[in-house]
Amino acid sequence: MPNASSTLATRSRGPAQTPADGARRSRRNRQIASALALVVGVAVVAVFPFAAPDAYVLSAGVVILSYACTATSWNFMGGFTGYISLGHAAYFGLGAYGTGIIVRDLGLPSFLAWALAGLAVAIITIPVGIAALRVRGASFVIVSIAFVLILLLVFQAWGSFTGGSSGLVVPRPFPDLMRPEHHRVFFYLFAALLAVMLTLWWAISRSRFGIGLKAIREDEDKAEALGIPTRNYKLVAYVVSATLTGLAGGMYALWFGDLDPIFQFSILLGSYMVLMALLGGIRNLFGPLVGAVIVGVALEIFKLEFGDTQFHLVATGLLLALVVLFMPDGIIPAVQAGLRRFGPQSSSIREMTAAELAERNAAAGVSGDSVFSGGPTPTPTPEEKR
Amino acid sequence: MTGSLLIQSLILGVLLGGLYALLAAGLTLYFGVMRVVMIAHSAFLILAAYLAWFASSTLGIDPLLTLVVTVPLFFGIGVLMQRLLIRRLRPATLTMMSVLLTFAIALFIEGLIGFVWGGTQRRIQLPYSSASIEIFGARIAVVKLIAFGLAALSLLVLYLLMKHTRFGQALRATIQHPEAAQLVGIRTDRVAGLGFGLGLATAALGGTALSLDATIYPSLHWHWIGPLMAIIVVGGLGSIPGAAIAALVLGVGQSLLQVPLGTTWAQTIFYVALFVTLMVRPQGFFGGRLAQRF
Repeated sequence: MPNASSTLATRSRGPAQTPADGARRSRRNRQIASALALVVGVAVVAVFPFAAPDAYVLSAGVVILSYACTATSWNFMGGFTGYISLGHAAYFGLGAYGTGIIVRDLGLPSFLAWALAGLAVAIITIPVGIAALRVRGASFVIVSIAFVLILLLVFQAWGSFTGGSSGLVVPRPFPDLMRPEHHRVFFYLFAALLAVMLTLWWAISRSRFGIGLKAIREDEDKAEALGIPTRNYKLVAYVVSATLTGLAGGMYALWFGDLDPIFQFSILLGSYMVLMALLGGIRNLFGPLVGAVIVGVALEIFKLEFGDTQFHLVATGLLLALVVLFMPDGIIPAVQAGLRRFGPQSSSIREMTAAELAERNAAAGVSGDSVFSGGPTPTPTPEEKR
Repeated sequence: MTGSLLIQSLILGVLLGGLYALLAAGLTLYFGVMRVVMIAHSAFLILAAYLAWFASSTLGIDPLLTLVVTVPLFFGIGVLMQRLLIRRLRPATLTMMSVLLTFAIALFIEGLIGFVWGGTQRRIQLPYSSASIEIFGARIAVVKLIAFGLAALSLLVLYLLMKHTRFGQALRATIQHPEAAQLVGIRTDRVAGLGFGLGLATAALGGTALSLDATIYPSLHWHWIGPLMAIIVVGGLGSIPGAAIAALVLGVGQSLLQVPLGTTWAQTIFYVALFVTLMVRPQGFFGGRLAQRF
């Protein structure tokens, strides 16, 4: 992870710091490990469409990537501000239907329609966000669920415009592609969208704006007292999150080609986003992606094993309950904590004896009685700070 | 709209509003005692309706008699849920995480109902199902009156319990100020558990009332939780009278709008009311201090 080494470098300027060197080495190891994981991840994504044995596995891969996109865009709101929206499926559906309707009625090129639909979602989100963000906690969740339910009702009832329950057929952007090639192209398109989202999340999480959002998550009143424009920050985060979700939905519409209000404006879809993000860890850049891979694979297996029964609901419910009860921070922090237990105890207070400290301070020209000044304070890792 | 049609939809609205009021009272009770938004409330409602249907169709028992079993059962489930699940959540993130937890329970129950009884629509057939009486020229089905009577009676019992018993006093104290209630010797933890059970018992009552004249299917609970949550926000989170008043007003409104707009569009009144409330008065129209922050 970045920025850890820079903090350390400014903190310990003194000479002769063997223990700190060890900590730095382990941190560098971790950096190398995460860079390696990133390279492996990119390689897996790049190779998967050609390694997939058949069109079914390939389409499952596309579905999982679309889940990863939605969960990551959900995390712009849920992860940064801690406002848990169970209704992000609304924006997914709006993006999907927006794309479909623009292509159908205006006849614009597919990807222009996709971008316009994203813009439309952003514009719709602003008033909804203003209303929803007037309240905190429970009421916010209620509003988010209500928004999906209302859209479901409207899109089902307004059949002449949306196709109603009989569905809306979205023309394919590449009509001359065969099915496996179609999946392959969209696999890369979703991967590109995901890469853009991850980069944006990473950039925001390091920015002043991102720090303000995290302050809201930790304590909104204190954040406000410190002069953070909480309302505007939350609104911007909400609109960004909704727009990206809408873009993922539009991409899904172009890929899948057939929309039904029941599936687009489904509470279940919104709950999958929350489950994936929480399971992976909402404070982590790759948390939603990891969660999406786990939940997506599990869902595909469930569909194969149990077919069309309601059993996947039971499984989803159980999994969500277990995550909430026992692992509310997610898998990535849990695994990191587990690994840290085996690794060198870099932040232990025992890493330097009093004699060593006195020697070091003497070398640095500090008087003997202030031995406690300037020691290598156990700097929290960036994961803990977030 | 003719006069008799107006009266008919007015009466139907009041009858529906009574049921909404009972269920919303339960929902706002959980919120009051534990600051928990109980998404699974309507899932338990549908579960009770399924149990009533099961008893009546396979065992031949009148659905109203199932109350003898379901009310204590649901009360016990509610107490256990608070003891074993809700209390395990961290206080700092309780509200958000409890939404997710109860959401998970709702999914679990919906899946279980579908798994056990299948996804097809069910309806109870009773000898008095088609009977109706005439009030002011409006024909009202007897089962709707029974359902309303059940809901009104339960609300009355809940009201008397809250106002005139020591337990009700302890419950209201816990809702108003948990720390102060603890200081005067109320075991708030225990009271919260019992309050949770009481809330779930209203779901058992409402579900049985609902099963008398509604077609039920596993995913029906989503159609109930939306309006119910809108009602408790409009009424002010945590305020039982507010919930009851909002339920009656919105129930009548829905019933009146059904005539010109149709069933689907009429349902949007709840969400319109929700958004208007948030824009105009986020703490709800009847809520006090409690609703401000949640």
